[in-house]
Amino acid sequence: MGNILIVTEIKDGTIREASYELAAFAQKLGGDVKSLVIGSGIAGEAESFAKKGGGTVYVADDASLANYNVEGYAAAIRAAVDASGADVVLVSNTPSGWDVAPRVAAGLDVALVSDVFDFQDGAYIRRVFNGKLNARVKVPGDKAVVTVQPGALPAFEGSTDGGTESLSVDTSGARSVFVETKLAESKGVDLSAAEVIISGGRGVGDPEKFKEVIQPLADVLGGAMGASRPVVDAGWLPHEYQVGSSGQVVAPKLYVAAGISGAIQHLVGMKGSNFIIAINKDADAPIFEVAQIGVVADLFEIIPALTAALQEAKG
Amino acid sequence: MKILVCLKQVPHQDARLDIDGAGTWIKEDGIKFEINSYDTFALEEALRIKDAGEAEVVVVSIGPDRVTQALRTALGMGADRAIHVKDAEIDGSDTLGIAKVLAAVAKEESPDLVLMGLMSDDGNASAVPPMMAELMGVPSATAVMKATPEGDGYRCERELEGGALEVVDLAKPCLIAVQSGLNQVRYASLKGIMAAKKKPMDTKSAGDLGLSGVVGAAGAKAQIEKIYAPVRGEGAEIIEGSTDEVVTQLVGKIKELGLL
Ligand SMILES: Cc1cc2nc3c(=O)[nH]c(=O)nc-3n(C[C@H](O)[C@H](O)[C@H](O)COP(=O)(O)OP(=O)(O)OC[C@H]3O[C@@H](n4cnc5c(N)ncnc54)[C@H](O)[C@@H]3O)c2cc1C
Ligand SMILES: Nc1ncnc2c1ncn2[C@@H]1O[C@H](COP(=O)(O)O)[C@@H](O)[C@H]1O
Repeated sequence: MGNILIVTEIKDGTIREASYELAAFAQKLGGDVKSLVIGSGIAGEAESFAKKGGGTVYVADDASLANYNVEGYAAAIRAAVDASGADVVLVSNTPSGWDVAPRVAAGLDVALVSDVFDFQDGAYIRRVFNGKLNARVKVPGDKAVVTVQPGALPAFEGSTDGGTESLSVDTSGARSVFVETKLAESKGVDLSAAEVIISGGRGVGDPEKFKEVIQPLADVLGGAMGASRPVVDAGWLPHEYQVGSSGQVVAPKLYVAAGISGAIQHLVGMKGSNFIIAINKDADAPIFEVAQIGVVADLFEIIPALTAALQEAKG
Repeated sequence: MKILVCLKQVPHQDARLDIDGAGTWIKEDGIKFEINSYDTFALEEALRIKDAGEAEVVVVSIGPDRVTQALRTALGMGADRAIHVKDAEIDGSDTLGIAKVLAAVAKEESPDLVLMGLMSDDGNASAVPPMMAELMGVPSATAVMKATPEGDGYRCERELEGGALEVVDLAKPCLIAVQSGLNQVRYASLKGIMAAKKKPMDTKSAGDLGLSGVVGAAGAKAQIEKIYAPVRGEGAEIIEGSTDEVVTQLVGKIKELGLL
């Protein structure tokens, strides 16, 4: 694959796990690996990454890069591409990664392949149609910026030879300015404590049905209700019920997913559950990938009957 | 104030997905299409800015004839004007090709603000908006949950993992790609739909935009070789039977888990 540049990401002063996953992805591609660390006061992290998968690490260490800013970070990546002669630039598909990577690709006039989870037989593998299908993507010119799905590969655990080189980046003239980070508001509903979560998705259809169908099943099991994002977007339930990458990550003893297709952003929030039952009309729904038991049926037939049977079993 | 909204028309979320003969995309005949869900939120945001002050809202979509329906819907909701970029030469473009076409449209229109969706529901790339911004030379932000006028631009709240937010100021002209749920999307009223019939819709080709030979399959730097149904690994144990039989098995399992 020629020369590879890993763009690491700093969170709370340290290099994220996802960056070590990029190092594993780089090994999979095969090629000469170099890396980039962007931030302020991050030289120590860069030194250590050089030995843990990074190879030669370029360090863009500047007070103006302390916080993520799309123009500043794009400038740093471009400088590192010039310095390394990279053909393939690897970036994690995180909120900053998906924000900056396409700009870099467009600036270099090369391919962007996003949210990739594997590389097989010369093609990048990614999900399309929210996980219902996969695509093999080829890059005939080999030059590409590739964003990799966090968690898709185990982190690289080997060692590499390498040192650091400082990289100067011109961040002047940016027309976007970082203001602040606001932490997630504390939740009225803490799903992480629930033993049982009955989650409904867009398939539940309307807010009344949550009250009539989902809530009673949660009640009979002494559990909590959860939801997928479209339910919260539509205002059927408040945000604290949302399970997924932009909601809560949960791991109850039992998670029931009803009318939820199983997009990756939902799966990352619940696949660590002890036992998962999925109820979906569509036999091909990706939710069945992570469930232990799947019921291919109308949730409006199964759930009320299940609630009644459980009620009876409890006596 | 001029706002350009980029809309993609995608297969309806509940459409059957059958793989086409070439194995590189889905069969489009016989299925329903709709405006990409994220883009409906972008359009709503543009219409709210228009409602709150003065703005011209121009919608643009690249795609075949069916796309006029998405544009008509947008006009019915309140957009002022539509641009349909239609050209077989654009077929097979990768995200960079689409970004080049949209950036060329933006160059002709010189909007103060471009609003788009975070991601398309079919290709799931989340690529076109920042690419387009780079080609236009304007600042951009993705996954925006809130945008308010601030100074000579917009203060945007970007969604991070777990519900945290990153606040960033963009100077105008700028490009904002919205996350779903930042507003509640209106429906087109009957009056709006009637009025839309008189609103202008321009059609443009790659040549009109000076992009002949640059975009399309030949210019694509990334190419889908094949799409396929994923092998579902171990997957779930599918339980079948009448509702009673299924329920009996589920109750048994829940007992086994010690939850009754
Ligand atoms: C950056 C980002 C962050 C995101 N964060 C999250 C997140 O935190 N959480 C989250 O959930 N999503 C998140 N999403 C959205 C995610 O990509 C999906 O759009 C979403 O999870 C889909 O929700 P759904 O499964 O309810 O809806 P759909 O995908 O529309 O699925 C509905 C399902 O219901 C089934 N169904 C319909 N009627 C019935 C019935 N009567 N009985 C049984 N089944 C039925 C259908 O077969 C279908 O599978 C995020 C997306 C992005 C880009
Ligand atoms: N064919 C198209 N026509 C108009 N806008 C598009 C088109 N394709 C993508 N977009 C815009 O780019 C956003 C992100 O799409 P993507 O990068 O393909 O995931 C969409 O939400 C649209 O706003």
